Amino acid sequence: MDTKLKSISRKKWVKCIAFALATVFITLAFMQLVYIKYINVDLESIIVREYRESKSFAYEVNKAISTTYKILESNTIVEPGEINYFYLIKDDERIFSNAPIYYRNFFERYKDTFFSYENGMSTIGKRINSDLIENPHGENDYTMYIAFPDTFMEEHQRLWNQARNISIPIILSVILCLVLSLLLLIYLGLVSGRKIGEAELYTSWMDNLYTEIILCGFIPMIIWILTLSKVLYYDTSVGYGLSDRQIFNMCLIGIVTVVITIISILAFLSIVRKVKGRNFYMHSIMSKIVPIITAYIKNLFDGNKFKNYPLTKRLHKRQVTFIILSAILVLFMLLCTLVPYLMILPIIIEAIIIYWYVKYNNETFDEINEGFNESIKEQMKAERMKINLITNVSHDLKTPLTSIISYVDLLSKEEDLSEAARDYVRILTEKSNRLKNILGDIFELAKSTSGDVNLEMEMLDLKKLIEQTLGDMQDDIEKSGFQIITKLPKDPIYIVSDGKRLYRVFQNIIDNALKYSLQGTRIFIEAGKKREDIFVILKNIAGYEMNFTAEEILQRFNRGDKSRNTDGSGLGLSIAESFTKVCGGDFKVDIDGDMFKVIISFKNAN
Amino acid sequence: MEHTRILVVDDDREIANAIDKLLRMEGYDIIKAYNGLEALDVLISNNIQLILLDIMMPKLDGLSTILRIREKKNIPIIIISAKSEDSDKILGLSMGADDYVTKPFNPQELLARIKSQLRRYMFLGDMGNIKNSSQLIVGGLTLDKDSKQLFVDGEEVRLTPTEYKIMDFLMTNAGVVFSAEKIYEKVWEEPAYSVENTVMVHIRRIREKIEINPKEPKYLKVVWGIGYKIEKY
Repeated sequence: MDTKLKSISRKKWVKCIAFALATVFITLAFMQLVYIKYINVDLESIIVREYRESKSFAYEVNKAISTTYKILESNTIVEPGEINYFYLIKDDERIFSNAPIYYRNFFERYKDTFFSYENGMSTIGKRINSDLIENPHGENDYTMYIAFPDTFMEEHQRLWNQARNISIPIILSVILCLVLSLLLLIYLGLVSGRKIGEAELYTSWMDNLYTEIILCGFIPMIIWILTLSKVLYYDTSVGYGLSDRQIFNMCLIGIVTVVITIISILAFLSIVRKVKGRNFYMHSIMSKIVPIITAYIKNLFDGNKFKNYPLTKRLHKRQVTFIILSAILVLFMLLCTLVPYLMILPIIIEAIIIYWYVKYNNETFDEINEGFNESIKEQMKAERMKINLITNVSHDLKTPLTSIISYVDLLSKEEDLSEAARDYVRILTEKSNRLKNILGDIFELAKSTSGDVNLEMEMLDLKKLIEQTLGDMQDDIEKSGFQIITKLPKDPIYIVSDGKRLYRVFQNIIDNALKYSLQGTRIFIEAGKKREDIFVILKNIAGYEMNFTAEEILQRFNRGDKSRNTDGSGLGLSIAESFTKVCGGDFKVDIDGDMFKVIISFKNAN
Repeated sequence: MEHTRILVVDDDREIANAIDKLLRMEGYDIIKAYNGLEALDVLISNNIQLILLDIMMPKLDGLSTILRIREKKNIPIIIISAKSEDSDKILGLSMGADDYVTKPFNPQELLARIKSQLRRYMFLGDMGNIKNSSQLIVGGLTLDKDSKQLFVDGEEVRLTPTEYKIMDFLMTNAGVVFSAEKIYEKVWEEPAYSVENTVMVHIRRIREKIEINPKEPKYLKVVWGIGYKIEKY
């Protein structure tokens, strides 16, 4: 039974009939409404049973009040035929009335239709729709009574009843039509897209259109409903019958309504099928555009769009995007002042943007942090490896060198060596000792540049240190034949530093000056305080053309391309520079023609 | 007198052999060991007067070996190591070593240091009993105030009167750092003016006389930028 009903309900012709009926019912409802409008029946009569309770009567009372007031104002007696109610209006001097008796209780007899205004207070008959009664205006010092005679009320109640007799059946029929069409639409909606014996959803060509286009199918109906009353307005009839013009109009309206209804029902059914097929949203223009826009904005913020940029650049780009979007929203907000309740929209959007901004910024910050930690870790590791390497290489080089030096020494003690062999051994001794010195220097330099140094910082006098160094090197200085001129201040120059290393610094630069100065020139050493800084300057005239820059001479260790002379490791200046830096000072070489200048400076050691 | 017997401990056999040859030429008896444990074994069964010891060795490293030796014996120990940091030297000496020689070493310097240690060991052995109040002893340095003589490891060093006065002053206050002015005032007994160079030159001269390697002084040290002192032992 159940399946039979189902199969019938899914037959095409059943659906077609239902469709046609729904169309007919909706059109009928329309036509009846139009008819009511045309025959000019007061629709209030459907709801309000008694005329005296109606808005129409309240309107009539208002009219009476203002008419009556005008009598007093214009001071003229109105023709009796014009007024179909009893009135009385008086002030201190005058009195106007059409009532047989000029007393309040005459009027009060018509208790349902009575209105009075006395001493600024108004009384309204209890059945009158008092909300709609307007108080008379003007000064307060007049009295007004109004009452409608029974004959008037009876006549109007009769007309009211007549209107009710016409309007109520029509409205009931309109409601019936609408209910029936609604039921038919529900039925159609249920069976739409279902075919007998097929589980799969059946779709028509219409369903391939985007949801938004189908939704447009409802637009004619909406426009039709909104404009219908305006189309009809000027064409209301006075009597109860319909004019030819009105009949023609109604035919026209009927045809249009049928067409529009068909379009709407088709759109409705298509939408229903889309909802059933779960592609109401999926198959819409919105669903195509919204993800693109959100993805774009999201990309702007999460940095995918700027993936190729470095992290900090991403932050910057995101910031710019954020500011631009916010600025746009502010403008939008200004526009929204025209429609205040839309104001919430930009606020919500801004909140979302801020959320995105903060969230993805945090992600980027985390990434930066991670990278930073990673690089620090790498650096530490590299540093440790470097130090380990230095220590290991140092040991691995020193051990064989120890053997070489020891055996060369043993060899030199052999007595039965030829003269030539003795010479060779002498060279070996010399070179192995030089190698020893170079190695020592290299490791010292490598250690101090890798930062693996134990400093013994103490308060010392730089002036004394220079003098001590000169005293220590006096033999070398005398041997070299150079004169060293010192220009040191009288007072001590106190500084917190590592004395042993500073001694090496001065020893190396003085040694350098002694080695490379032009014969017969003097070497100048100057020390002092310049404002907050302590400086030591060594000047000498080079004995050869200095075809290198200040940077190059300090980087000789790294470059190793220019040959140096035979003794020493050639690392003296590099070590001096490195040690100065380790001690917290600044080491600068200045080459000006033949003048070679070393400037060592320290921030004042207070 | 029987031959002085020296124990050479180094895991590098070539270095041990080289030292062996070097010292045999000087007339010492040598016993070689290639790690700390072997060295301890040798010490039990032999009468050893001095030990040359490497630090980085397998089985038992040099520093641990020193601690074990020092539990029983007071013989001089010279460390020979590739570790050249000041901190390594300080550690080695504080563990009980008497001297520290860094590799690669100058064979003649090593020899000098060995001789110095041996002299001091013997000398102090003799001096222990006859020490009198006029003697000032700092490490291997002995200053005899009566005879105005300075002995380094028992051997007399000839000093000029000024040099002697400087040593007298510094040794009396061993471990204390004095500025050049102070030393000058004490020694020359004149007010000091621009004396840094004068004092420094004297210090250097003394160093050349008493130190085995004047560039790495053991006793008379310059405290750069401050003054001078005799290291206290």
